[in-house]
Amino acid sequence: MKKELINLTVNGETYELLVVPNELLLNVLRDRLHLTGTKYVCGIGECGACTVSIDGALMLSCLMLAATADGSEITTIEGLAGVDGQLDPVQEAFLDHGAYQCGYCTPGLIMSSKALLQENANPTEAEIREFLRGNLCRCTGYSSVVRAVQGAAGSMRAEGG
Amino acid sequence: MTEKFHTVGRSAWRKDGLAKVTGAEKYTSDISLPRMWHARVLRSPHPHARVLSIDTSAAEAMGAVCLTFDDVPKVRYNERLVSVPDKLYKDRYVLPDKLRHIGEAFAAVAAPTEELAEKARRAIRVEYELLPPVIEPLAAMQPGSAQLYDKIFFGAEEIQVENNIACPRVIEVGDVDAGFAEADFILEQEFRTGGVYHAQLETKGVIVEPEADGGITVWPTTQSIHNTRILLGEIFDIPLHKINIKKVTIGGTFGSSIQTNSIIPICVALALKARRPIKLLQTREEDWHTHSRYPSIIRLKIGVKKDGTLTAGHMQTIADIGAHNTQAFPFLGVLAGFWVSLYKMPNLKYEGTAVYTNKVPVCAMRGFGAPQSHFAVEAMMDHIAEKLEIDPLELRLKNYIGLGDTFWGQGPTVRSVVKSDGVKELLERGADLIGWRDRPKPGTQSGRFVRGIGMARGFHTSGTGAPRPGEVIDYSSAFIKINEDGSVDVASSLMDHGGGSLDALAKIAAETLGVPYDKVGLSPVDTRTTAYDVCTHATRGVYVGGGAVHKVALQVREKLLKLAAQLLGAEPAALSIKPDEELGQGVIYAESVPGLSITVGEVASYARVNSMYTIQAADSLRQVNGPPAYVAHFVEIEVDTETGVIRPIRAVAGSDAGTVINPDMAVGQLEGGLIQGLGFAFYEDSRYDPDTGQPLSRGLITDGKIPTFGELPNVDNMVSFFAHTYEPTGPFGAKGIGEAAINPVAAAFANAVYNALGVRFTELPITPEMVLAALARKKVTTDEPSASEELLTPAG
Amino acid sequence: MTTPLLMNSHILVQEFDLHRPTSVAEAVALLEQYNGQAKVLAGGTDLLVNMKLERAQAEQVIAIGRIKALKQITAGPDGLAIGPLATFYDLQQSEVIRQTYQALHEAAKSVSGTQIKMMGTIGGNLCNASPAADSAPALLLCDAQVELTGVTGPRRVDLAEFFTGPGQTVRQANELLTGIVLRPPQPTEGSAFLKLGRVGADIAKVSAAVRLVRDGQKVAECRLALGSVAPTPVRARLAETRLAGQPFDLALAEVAAQTAAQEIIPITDVRSTAAYRARAAQVLVRDALLAAWDRSSR
Repeated sequence: MKKELINLTVNGETYELLVVPNELLLNVLRDRLHLTGTKYVCGIGECGACTVSIDGALMLSCLMLAATADGSEITTIEGLAGVDGQLDPVQEAFLDHGAYQCGYCTPGLIMSSKALLQENANPTEAEIREFLRGNLCRCTGYSSVVRAVQGAAGSMRAEGG
Repeated sequence: MTEKFHTVGRSAWRKDGLAKVTGAEKYTSDISLPRMWHARVLRSPHPHARVLSIDTSAAEAMGAVCLTFDDVPKVRYNERLVSVPDKLYKDRYVLPDKLRHIGEAFAAVAAPTEELAEKARRAIRVEYELLPPVIEPLAAMQPGSAQLYDKIFFGAEEIQVENNIACPRVIEVGDVDAGFAEADFILEQEFRTGGVYHAQLETKGVIVEPEADGGITVWPTTQSIHNTRILLGEIFDIPLHKINIKKVTIGGTFGSSIQTNSIIPICVALALKARRPIKLLQTREEDWHTHSRYPSIIRLKIGVKKDGTLTAGHMQTIADIGAHNTQAFPFLGVLAGFWVSLYKMPNLKYEGTAVYTNKVPVCAMRGFGAPQSHFAVEAMMDHIAEKLEIDPLELRLKNYIGLGDTFWGQGPTVRSVVKSDGVKELLERGADLIGWRDRPKPGTQSGRFVRGIGMARGFHTSGTGAPRPGEVIDYSSAFIKINEDGSVDVASSLMDHGGGSLDALAKIAAETLGVPYDKVGLSPVDTRTTAYDVCTHATRGVYVGGGAVHKVALQVREKLLKLAAQLLGAEPAALSIKPDEELGQGVIYAESVPGLSITVGEVASYARVNSMYTIQAADSLRQVNGPPAYVAHFVEIEVDTETGVIRPIRAVAGSDAGTVINPDMAVGQLEGGLIQGLGFAFYEDSRYDPDTGQPLSRGLITDGKIPTFGELPNVDNMVSFFAHTYEPTGPFGAKGIGEAAINPVAAAFANAVYNALGVRFTELPITPEMVLAALARKKVTTDEPSASEELLTPAG
Repeated sequence: MTTPLLMNSHILVQEFDLHRPTSVAEAVALLEQYNGQAKVLAGGTDLLVNMKLERAQAEQVIAIGRIKALKQITAGPDGLAIGPLATFYDLQQSEVIRQTYQALHEAAKSVSGTQIKMMGTIGGNLCNASPAADSAPALLLCDAQVELTGVTGPRRVDLAEFFTGPGQTVRQANELLTGIVLRPPQPTEGSAFLKLGRVGADIAKVSAAVRLVRDGQKVAECRLALGSVAPTPVRARLAETRLAGQPFDLALAEVAAQTAAQEIIPITDVRSTAAYRARAAQVLVRDALLAAWDRSSR
């Protein structure tokens, strides 16, 4: 297979990488850029644990060829907190509401929740559950996550953000 | 109850919270070592076969290191060391001598990259001799059926396996025949529950690094670093001081890593052969093929008097254990224990048979037999209540095993006396919250959408402690020291599944030592620097693990106060410690003597500056009780009688966990358990083609669905509450919750379905297909119960 | 399909050459060049899964994600033109689709998860040709046509003729699906889509789509399509004849639903049974008819 030089901007930093066609974006992020927050859980698009944000859209990095992400802006869980370590309101809300247990689904869930709130600042419970339906969790039973998203929505509105 | 505590009972950000919400938390798959190679495992495509030849030459020509049966130690073992050695059924080798289930690992390769390892794996040539598979347990037990095993070990003794029976267990108390003779009514029913895949999000994995001195360092997915260590030492004949198992955060387990999973010794063997670090991760489809919950067939017969007193019980169960015996013997005991510990039954007989089949080996899954037996018993209790026209709650309150009663918990050798009991409060409050008195009469509703309310109660033991040690090893250890600035290190080898048990331990330490919670650290640990903890299972994390921390913290407190007393010129007994958030220190003071105080940090610093010692203690604890963590669930469901789809509307979960140390995490357990129970009740079943042994889902979660955000009730319709109890034998009065949170859930949902439809399902999961079929049958035969429903014989 | 134990979902095992054309002409030229050996990669939610499952093999992969012109959704007097790279999320968020092609809106909304919606494209969904394809029943209601482009230029095919079997279409290996065209809506029409899975995020056990055009109290025109109950997404033509020209009421809807249930040939598989699918299809068709009729008068 032919190696291709691609550019990926991840969490604000641009990387020049030689990739082969069948390299998956998930594994480039985890193994080559050492951004291990994004997880492999099922590999076939059923669970949402590998969710990243690419040019503003939520994508499953386990189903993406790294080469097709050439030139795009990618945000992973590691890119949410500010450079000074200031947590994103969604991250804080997950902490406040104990909306995680083992933590394995948490990065994907936080990425998805953030995308939801960027699009809909005041989602109803039904909207939250519908939007997050592609993210599986086996520990929490989901309720605490719904409450966290509602909490984050509230604090983001309060900040006028 | 927790108002008098400064830390216990308060919710706070978890200690692993920042790492988990920023993606910084490291799990096994996130770790990389220099020179590390990647491994892939070759797994059987056949349910039952012999390997006639295996040719790894092409793989080796690619530069891969290969492992086959010839390369591994010929030590026979059981992966799970929770039971005492002479009660272990040992049928495993590191790589098997024969293939006994689709997915059984029988060879492995390691190569510089996963891609190369994958190529090498596919280049291995195998010749199989196919053997007839036995898929159905009842067929497997027939004389003449293909046998999975010839001889295995029980303890140190070689035994013959007959008719694929892995182990039987018979327990009798009193005289069942006399008991049934006394009964006014006898009910008998058969229940079935499906195979359920744990679906923990992190697929199991391991990294092994061989050390220069012949030792190994291991980063595994495990619920017990010490048992993993002991087993590896036994298999590979490496002394334990040269084996270091690192505690790594796990992405959920629900029981799937109580045992040292097969990839761990395989990876050790590969690492020793390759003489470099090896990483072995299971893909999801592989992980699916390595373990599942015990599916069950339970035949239950109960005798009851007109006034609702139970007189006798007879339970027969077939446990289909799949291809390996991980803990069938304790499972049968636990299933019995959970049955007989729900309600008083003076005469009982339990007959359990564990059967080998050519399917994925089962292992414990949250509840370990309790969800199965709760389902049967709680459906039966509802049924009895209806027949006798007694309120279901009254029937339960009349018969349940509670305060002052002896109960078995996890089996006949694990008995203790109940010392805290919140059952009445759980039932009364739960009934109130759901509107129990206003529920409809079963099967009286018409229209397309019908609702029903159901309840079930139950418990799980907090650990497996008993006055005398029995078949189950159960103790924990802890090491605590005061740092020179007044902060505290707590080193516990207890694993945290993710539910927050370790945070409870930190809170117990903070409470005991009087220091601020955020000044207590949970140390990263491994087996070389910690003392033994058997395993995080059996809902023992807080009660036993926390108990050990409490014991050791008291020892540290004593030493601390002794030195503080010297420095203050006071008696240790006159001193108290309480946290001062502003100072960020624990403050040691004498009540009613203002100004006489010193901080914990000052004391520790004094000890250092004056070259004295570190204020520290290490010890172990065995609990002599396994108190029931009671629980009750009240749920409302709605059935679309045209599509058979059932959805949960409201759910009330009440827990008696004694003192609730982590309130928000305890709620998390209840909510998580509810949804897992929902999955068990309505969605999850791992079925196999009865002829080929092929799993119908093929191990893909595309067809192994678990509940999503769409399946739960609205959050406002979910209520969790806690009984006001105090367990005198638990740290600050605490008991457990983890498995209690799931045990009666499926039963509650099934009882709710009965309330809605007047149809009692005795098989899980209850699918829309089954609902429509049952409703169609009901239309045809309105008066006669169908043959599969029940056998009701008035006695006498 | 390879047994899952020989697959590896953690990496993509297959090796291939990757092309990333920036125009339709370039893409079509590549398809022509590699006739039969190339697979088109759009969102990846079908192709990459199938490649991991080893259900699909490719030596050449042509990723068309850079051809921005294929992403448009344009409404005009001749109807709605949807580019094949429009994602399910684009369809769900489109105001014109939500207002005037309700069944398509609901079908897009029903897709399993937001990430799949944002990645998965309608072109990919149609070319993958699963009998359970979420977009197909709703498109069949609108007499949709697909545009297939080869080196000799584009041709149009009725969607009703497009599917030939599970995973099979009339698209030739050297053709690219470059557009989907839907009839313009009529002022008195309404449509609805319903789907049943095992859980909320799931492939359909059965799905039903209905479009009714009202003339007073009568059904002037109707289209009825079902998914997951035949080798391809299908129209229930016999049921349609029961409805056409008739005054609409619940009894008519029941009759039509019953007819539709008898027209289909559902199977028993890991997800459900034939009997259940038939029964559930009947319920969904009736419910969809009632919803579509209700919407036709708004």
